[in-house]
Amino acid sequence: MTSALGQGFVLLGLIAAGFGTAFGYIAGVRRSAAGLRLTRRLALLFAVAMVGACAVMWYALLSHDFSVSYVAQVGSTATPLHITIFSLWSSLEGSILFWGLILGLYIAAAAVFQRRGHEDYLAYTLATLLGIGTFFTFLIASVADPFAPTPPPVPVDGPGPNPLLQNHLLMAIHPPMLYLGYVGMSVPFAMAVAALLRGQLGATWLRPMRRWLLVPTSFLTAGIMLGGWWSYEVLGWGGYWAWDPVENASFLPWLTGIAALHSGIVQQRRGTLKAWTVILIMITFLLTILGTFLTRSGVVNSVHSFTQSPIGPVFLGFLGLCAAAVVVLLALRIDTLVSEPSNERLVSREGAFLLNNLLFVSLMFTVLVGTLYPIVAESLRGVKVSVGEPYFNRMAVPLFAGLLLLMGVGPALPWGGSDPKLVRRALVRPLPAAAVGLVVALLLGARSAPVLIVSAFAGFALWVTADQGLRPVRVRPRRQGGRSPLAAVLVAPDKLGAYVVHLGVLITFVAVAVSSTFQREAESTLRAGDTLRLGAYEMTFHGAERVQEPHLIRHQAEVEVITNGRSRGVLYPSLNIYPNQREPIGTPAVRTSVGHDLYLTLMNVGGDGSIGLRAITTPLVAWIWIGVVVMVLGTALCLIPTAAERRATTPRAVPDLAASPAGGGR
Amino acid sequence: MNRRVLLVGLGISLPLLAFLGFAFRHDPQIVESPLVGKPAPNFRLADLDGNIVDLAELRGQPVIVNFWATYCVPCLYEHPLLMEGARRWQGEIHFLGVIFQDDPETIAQFNADYGSWGPSLVDEGGRVAIAYGVYGPPETFFIDRDGVIVEKAIGQVWPDQLLDVANRMLAQPAAATG
Repeated sequence: MTSALGQGFVLLGLIAAGFGTAFGYIAGVRRSAAGLRLTRRLALLFAVAMVGACAVMWYALLSHDFSVSYVAQVGSTATPLHITIFSLWSSLEGSILFWGLILGLYIAAAAVFQRRGHEDYLAYTLATLLGIGTFFTFLIASVADPFAPTPPPVPVDGPGPNPLLQNHLLMAIHPPMLYLGYVGMSVPFAMAVAALLRGQLGATWLRPMRRWLLVPTSFLTAGIMLGGWWSYEVLGWGGYWAWDPVENASFLPWLTGIAALHSGIVQQRRGTLKAWTVILIMITFLLTILGTFLTRSGVVNSVHSFTQSPIGPVFLGFLGLCAAAVVVLLALRIDTLVSEPSNERLVSREGAFLLNNLLFVSLMFTVLVGTLYPIVAESLRGVKVSVGEPYFNRMAVPLFAGLLLLMGVGPALPWGGSDPKLVRRALVRPLPAAAVGLVVALLLGARSAPVLIVSAFAGFALWVTADQGLRPVRVRPRRQGGRSPLAAVLVAPDKLGAYVVHLGVLITFVAVAVSSTFQREAESTLRAGDTLRLGAYEMTFHGAERVQEPHLIRHQAEVEVITNGRSRGVLYPSLNIYPNQREPIGTPAVRTSVGHDLYLTLMNVGGDGSIGLRAITTPLVAWIWIGVVVMVLGTALCLIPTAAERRATTPRAVPDLAASPAGGGR
Repeated sequence: MNRRVLLVGLGISLPLLAFLGFAFRHDPQIVESPLVGKPAPNFRLADLDGNIVDLAELRGQPVIVNFWATYCVPCLYEHPLLMEGARRWQGEIHFLGVIFQDDPETIAQFNADYGSWGPSLVDEGGRVAIAYGVYGPPETFFIDRDGVIVEKAIGQVWPDQLLDVANRMLAQPAAATG
């Protein structure tokens, strides 16, 4: 019964998406208002169907209806309520259903919010989005059907979701954030397709496109950060980024998405780089599909990969189809997007943006090559290889350092860069800040060249970021006769927002550089009463206990943390044993402070009551997460409409004859 | 038509797709079992009623050893197939189930409800699972008349595979046991 209801909703979604795709393209070609209305209704119906399907699955999970195969696979009567809710996305079929839900919500949002002023574009946009929706509902209805009835005998209980996912609350938000990022890239992609089909990409379409790109990029940033944080809090190795294929898969579209956000700025200001921005947006979308394919198909080895399943080939087919469509569409229509003529100098704001794009795309290729090399090596030479951290670090760190330098130099340079004297002054003024960065690093004990270079670049960039970000507040009141700082910011919140994002990037950048360079660790076997020393810390082991919980057995060690002879509290690192998992899963205990983290992992619990304890101190880890929060806040600022946009949208409610170019030419 | 875009686009995407397509030939998570082609590790285990089963004593007839548990969904999927197999080759092939980290009482209840296709052997401490290198249920080992593992299935056993391997093992001359 539940199975049939769920499958019914999925079928409804498939029908709505299929017809919506066809009607949307027809409406786009014919410029038919009635066709667009129908497409919009089908788009909303698709969203309703996806919400319905997920509601049915949640109901099945919460009522432990093991006659639904997905519930039999990930459900368990012993699993706590909140984990049961998250188990919707804890395994392959459910996560694709959840993907459908998010796609439905994005499509509904696009249909509702892009209603006015862009009718010609909107039909193509919705048609493209619903085309993607058709594929995903087809997937859910066929090879990844979570609603398939469990073959008899229907079990009385299930195994519960993967223990690693049960172990930390971050698992509740990391996947949804990533999906919001991945799936959201479909919207700017569809808008870019619409621009190509219309053969026009003006400022009126570019602004919303950039905004729709900004939202998923921000979710992706948060999702990647939460993944790193989860890895840090749960996996027990004391790190947050391992260049794992699936981490890389989420990183690839992030890199090109950010490149597109930057090239869009140039386009907005100068009317150039139109085709390039469109290409970057399309690559970003293709990379989200590639990333999903890598994760879901089981072709790469990773903590994330699901086992090989029939989904892989179907997904590869979809990736091939999308890539072919994109290449052909670009080849046919790219020449219709004429950029305004330009004669840029390299040493200018535009030049810096170009270089920025070059670095981001190089980074993307570097990571892509490292991620796919094992597959290539196996097909060409028949050997199994893995590409480890040294490759990525050696290749990516210089590129990141280049980006850091650009983050300082670019915003300092004037647009056009015509006057060499002006350019020189702009670049000399932040130099003292670079020197301060260098001295601070030296005082903190850094001696290696890369760390010192990064510190100087960071000082430079920090000065420029603050200078540029505060400019509206400093300059406006004087010129415009005493506006309040808030009003000055609200004229163009996106300007301040952009520099807030840069500030966040700087914080995270420095935190990553410092935390990965100055990590220290100690490891030992301890009996009750023994003490492990690491730096200023003394950690005394008081004993371990065994705690039985409904869905797991927890071995928990009591470790008192002492510095300078004073107790700083007790930490409880533990090892959890789940009935369906042979290896125990550790839960590290972390003591976070502004300066550094103390990280305790229980390596093993001996039969005689001894434990293996590993302690790691890592400086500035908390600042990585703080930096990302700042980035997300900055993005939120960017989403506030500018004064010009607010003026532009208000009169559009009335018939806008007067505002249209034709009206102006009377 | 912008040929440069077309050529660059195809030049990058086609090889990429070809490599990805190739990747399906291997599952990176499957490590070829070194046990295939080698004598099966022997075991002496008690079933739920305490009857001892000794693998060595079954020499001369093919044996199918399946590691399973009630919490494992693919095990449920393959249950009817194994029931059918045990019925079809009764007296010709021994079907042995080794309990993989599950509660014997739960197993007994399951067997009472849905029937069993062979003895459910209690593997104290998972020693046999370790000897066979079992990573997770279900895994199935096909052992021929000479006690050699001829094939291993990771995950659900499919009808074609069961039929094919069973017929191969049965076709092997019994005299080879010497």
